[in-house]
Amino acid sequence: MNKVSFWSALPFAVLFVFTAPILIIFSSFFGGYSENWNHIINFVLLDYVSSSIYLVFGVSLIVLLIGTITAWTVTNFNFPGKRVFEWALILPLAIPPYILAYTFTGLFDPFGDANNLARLILGLDRDFVLFPNVRNVYGAIIVFGFTLYPYVYLVARSSLINQSRSMQESARMLGLNQFQVFHRLTLPLIRPAVIGGLMLVIMETLSDFGAVEHFAIQTFTTGIFRTWYGLYDLQTAMQLASLLLLAIGVFYILERNSRGQQIYTASNSTYSPNLEKRLSKSKAVLAFLVCLTPIFIGFILPIIELSVWAYEVNRDFFTTQFVSSFVNTISLSVVTGFVCAGLALLINFSIRYKPTYLVNKLSSLLSIGYAVPGLILAVGIVQLFVYLDSLALSSLDIVLTGSLIGLILAYIIKTYALANSSIDSGYERISSALDDSSKLLGVVGWSMLRKVHLPLLKTSLLTSILLVMSDVVKELPATLILRPFNFETLAVSTYIYASEERMIQAAAPAIAIVLTGLIPILFLTKMIRSSRPVQIDE
Amino acid sequence: MKKIQLILLFALFGQVVMTNEVNVYTSRHYDSDPGLYEEFTKETGIKVNIISGKGSALLERLKAEGRNSPADVFFTVDAGNLWKVQKENLLQSIKSDKVLKVVPENLRGPNNEWTAIAKRARVIFYNPTSVDENEISDLDYEDLANPEWKNRVVIRSSSNMYNQSLVASLISNLGESQTESWAKGLINNFARKPQGNDRSQIIAVANGEADLAIANSYYIGIMLSGSAGKEQLEAAQKVRMLFPNQANRGVHINISGAGILKHSPNVENANLFLEFLLSERVQKYMVDKSYEYPILEGILPSKEIASFGLNFVEDQTSVRQFGELNPAAVRLMDRAGWK
Amino acid sequence: MNEVILKIQNLSHSYDDDQLSLKKINLLVNKGERLSIQGPSGCGKSTLLRLIAGLEEPNEGQIFINEEEVSSPGFSVPPEKRQIGMVVQDKALFPHLSIYENICFGIKKNTDKEQIALDLLNLFKIEELKNKFPHQISGGEKQRVALARSMAPNPNFIMLDEAFSALDSDLKVSIYDEVLEIFQGKNITVILVTHDTEEAKILSTRQLNMDNGELL
Repeated sequence: MNKVSFWSALPFAVLFVFTAPILIIFSSFFGGYSENWNHIINFVLLDYVSSSIYLVFGVSLIVLLIGTITAWTVTNFNFPGKRVFEWALILPLAIPPYILAYTFTGLFDPFGDANNLARLILGLDRDFVLFPNVRNVYGAIIVFGFTLYPYVYLVARSSLINQSRSMQESARMLGLNQFQVFHRLTLPLIRPAVIGGLMLVIMETLSDFGAVEHFAIQTFTTGIFRTWYGLYDLQTAMQLASLLLLAIGVFYILERNSRGQQIYTASNSTYSPNLEKRLSKSKAVLAFLVCLTPIFIGFILPIIELSVWAYEVNRDFFTTQFVSSFVNTISLSVVTGFVCAGLALLINFSIRYKPTYLVNKLSSLLSIGYAVPGLILAVGIVQLFVYLDSLALSSLDIVLTGSLIGLILAYIIKTYALANSSIDSGYERISSALDDSSKLLGVVGWSMLRKVHLPLLKTSLLTSILLVMSDVVKELPATLILRPFNFETLAVSTYIYASEERMIQAAAPAIAIVLTGLIPILFLTKMIRSSRPVQIDE
Repeated sequence: MKKIQLILLFALFGQVVMTNEVNVYTSRHYDSDPGLYEEFTKETGIKVNIISGKGSALLERLKAEGRNSPADVFFTVDAGNLWKVQKENLLQSIKSDKVLKVVPENLRGPNNEWTAIAKRARVIFYNPTSVDENEISDLDYEDLANPEWKNRVVIRSSSNMYNQSLVASLISNLGESQTESWAKGLINNFARKPQGNDRSQIIAVANGEADLAIANSYYIGIMLSGSAGKEQLEAAQKVRMLFPNQANRGVHINISGAGILKHSPNVENANLFLEFLLSERVQKYMVDKSYEYPILEGILPSKEIASFGLNFVEDQTSVRQFGELNPAAVRLMDRAGWK
Repeated sequence: MNEVILKIQNLSHSYDDDQLSLKKINLLVNKGERLSIQGPSGCGKSTLLRLIAGLEEPNEGQIFINEEEVSSPGFSVPPEKRQIGMVVQDKALFPHLSIYENICFGIKKNTDKEQIALDLLNLFKIEELKNKFPHQISGGEKQRVALARSMAPNPNFIMLDEAFSALDSDLKVSIYDEVLEIFQGKNITVILVTHDTEEAKILSTRQLNMDNGELL
């Protein structure tokens, strides 16, 4: 086979595999509509839509408020603890929403730890409930709001840092007071970035399954799950999934748009002095509390509850189930990490080697997986494999359904974007002059990749593997559907214990997940610390 | 190099290799089951291969495998789940006399596509300190819709098969419209939005969050045994179990059951397996470990369960109805607003 | 017409409690004057402008604009109220607004915004840039826009902080001539800070030097 056409064909082949499950989901629109579908439309669809709308609005409000206010506080002012808060504000990202949901119910259920503690301290009887019930839409909004606000915080902060202080000062010289500066200058300039972050938050909220199911909220994801598992109706589940995908598609497009707009609002100054205003004592206390509260609710509180459980489970922490889940999880994430990194390497190389407009456009489509809910990917893959198995069965005795292949495929599609962005930025640092010199020396194709690029991309490869691994560890809905029989991952174990209300046993796998979740956070904090703006000394 | 590739291929593709054995596809996840399979192998020399998973996943797999499916026995809980497999024409009629004699007709499929292996009752748990004796004497499921139980009842979500079968049974006995009014009344009496599983409901009653919980009978056995932890043991000690509808048709009965797949390559072994499950020794073993009620007469259930009463009236409604009426039950629950 | 438009008395400032960045500055600026302050980097000239602007507060001393006290220990009028125009080295144009909107930004509500802006666009010969955006224009053009924007609200005086140092040297010379004409034509009071002696010579009527926080 001609080596040249391999490189050109590769992106197409991968794109086909990645989009097949999604296309299959949409093809369900053309299949028949069962009785279940009519029933759903008449009785439950409205619930799904209204819950989703509530969630989207509520969560958007919270993340916008917390994300922008904390970013603004931490960028513009100097107060005790500011250096720590700058990176600590993203810690909640280490905690997947379903784990926060489990710890919240453990704390705030009528007979949960927080209420028990309150009763103990206040000496009241069992009828007294201090903390309101969290198992509803409001609780869910709080959970998503406090685990996902870091997305908005990160982009808002990065955008604010890029806004030169001199621009704000010029605005003040032109007659605007501080509030007007914020309103007419700062906000419009961070808006594209903040919208991008918000879209990511919304897509994650709509994709979640574990938290909403635990809070007994009827959303599309729980509906899809229930239709498939409870009613055994794969076709209708796919039709529901299509609807959700359409909604998410809208947010996906908005997010891509905002990226384009950010170019125009980037600061065009090369020199960005950024003096932080020192705050008076009372204002410093306020700033401290403003930054501490989201971290407390989104990270410290769940960690406390997990630790309480770990203490209670004590010597039973390392059960055989935990060990096997742990091994399974690590194996899967390592395999996915390597495959994704390898794929990203090959694809990025083929784009660079044989650049065409079409191939470029295609490769950005490959990253689409991050927007597709894991649940929907899984359902699409189930149907895809059922087709393949029915075709292949006459010639081969291979059964794809129920094997690990589907799960790994889902992971790869979902996390490819992470690996790609890391390799992509790594490649940006390799000047094309190196490629040219290499070609002139007769080193082309695979050899160029191996001898020239690979050594220079070591860090990017490592980063992409780590980022992918951490994402795979947290994944829940796709794993629940696609896992082979009796195969548990850390996330699945946590889910199973939590659904059986055996929260204490859930501590071990949950803590393992949070610890792995901290790995990409470490990367991000390094990035944050090194992005601190330059201080002028004059 | 080639050998490793082959091994990996097998591992990834989940291929089942066949010798003198029986292949059981099961969605029962009781800890006691593996011991059962070992016993069977000891007794008969037949190897038992287990593929376990969620019912819907097993069904999709069976459909995908089609004629080439190596599955011999399908083992699951709840007659509704058995019906789902039966509906797809995946099961064959059981011919074994031993099975047909021992298991009463109302606990078998319409054409003997499947048979019960054990029974469970969907009972009512209550806290004796918060509930009056008069309130619960001669209590029926139907009474739970009455206004005096407002804010006092808990039950799990309608998405669970056990509830769907209960509602199916009510439709079969009372008709749809009466069942629907009952459901609406029941929902009005919920102490909290349906959340958690059967055990959560029992724990809620133990905590005083509610006065009555509807849940399956075997859970109290599991909780009282202590194997689920201290918290669940203490909760179980605070509650009592009662059988509703004792003055009329009897408490709702459901089953653990099994069937033989249509394309089973080892039909004889499959029959032996079913007969094994219905033998005296195994019935005793099973009910001791899973706290269900036996099919075989003369076998005593485990002491934890037995303490709540043995001579209770059982609803004789044929369990095959649960599957047939399942779609209607689900739709009814949705219409009534049972989340 | 020798109105004192800016008076500074005994102004001292330090960024941290260690060193004084400005030591007892005294200065008088008359209306119509163009004052330049030269000195090596770090000598405190930018700090002086920031204090006059109100972006920093002094440790001691007083500042008067048009005979009104705007700064003294414990009292400070915020920058938005001091009516001073300022152009900094990076020009700081607002990237999300058009050139026209940039220029209009500081013009008060009850005035004829459009006329003022158009006049300035004309004056600086940048009429054709009206609807463009900052990322679409050249360095020299940004320079003119920044100046126009600072003059639009009709400030008491304008301050230039290394405003021309980012331009090419050939560009600088032609801009100096243009700008000088405009300043003279409109009788604008200017305080400019620079390390470029050519700039100071061409544009200013009075030259001062600064070193180590002191005016020489």
